[in-house]
Amino acid sequence: MLSPFRITDVSAHCDLPCGVYDPAQARIEAESVKMICQKVADNDDPDFRTRATIIKEQRSELVKHHLWVLWTDYFKPPHFEKYPQLHVLVNEATKLAGAAGTKGEFDEAKADELLAKIEEISTIFWETKKG
Amino acid sequence: MIVPALVRVRGRSMLPTYREGDVLLVLRGLAPRPGRAHVVDLPPDAHGRPRPLAVKRVTGPDPDDPTRWWLDTDNPGEGVTSFDVGSVPRSAVRAVVLGLVRRPLG
Repeated sequence: MLSPFRITDVSAHCDLPCGVYDPAQARIEAESVKMICQKVADNDDPDFRTRATIIKEQRSELVKHHLWVLWTDYFKPPHFEKYPQLHVLVNEATKLAGAAGTKGEFDEAKADELLAKIEEISTIFWETKKG
Repeated sequence: MIVPALVRVRGRSMLPTYREGDVLLVLRGLAPRPGRAHVVDLPPDAHGRPRPLAVKRVTGPDPDDPTRWWLDTDNPGEGVTSFDVGSVPRSAVRAVVLGLVRRPLG
């Protein structure tokens, strides 16, 4: 396999093609959550509200999923050293997408808080990409 | 026996040291040299599929098991490291990178 007479390819890759991680996934789901809050505010139909509740629950869970993937799979120890606030940020953002946040109520302000936290994580993410 | 070999870098995880297409001269048959880049076998992925032969930096012995070696990338944003897959045994360190012999233009 390794030979002085021919050149063997050696990989310097991630498991997935590079660049697949993107905080935009979490942001889009959080925007969905916000939109659901807006739509429910304008609608009294109980069936609609039930569906909205279920979808908001699912979308909030997806926000948490995407943030956790970034936290465990993308960010590495050197990132946490450089951005010591990152652990707390991910914790606060996923809490805002949980029962104490967008899962638990139809509050647009909570969704905005969540979007702001995701934006902070996103800013750090793109700074690490520049390095 | 010390045997030279040539390898070509594929991917971005060793940036800024080595980049896509770089041809490296490597030596087999030497003990791992902490701090240097090496050609290594990575453990299979979570589904048991083999990973390709890779180039990584051996940073030193695994702090939890001094018989094993800890791998890292030079590009903290990208690539599989021992933080993802754990350290590797001595037998997985296949060759030490001596240096760059050819870099594509551009």
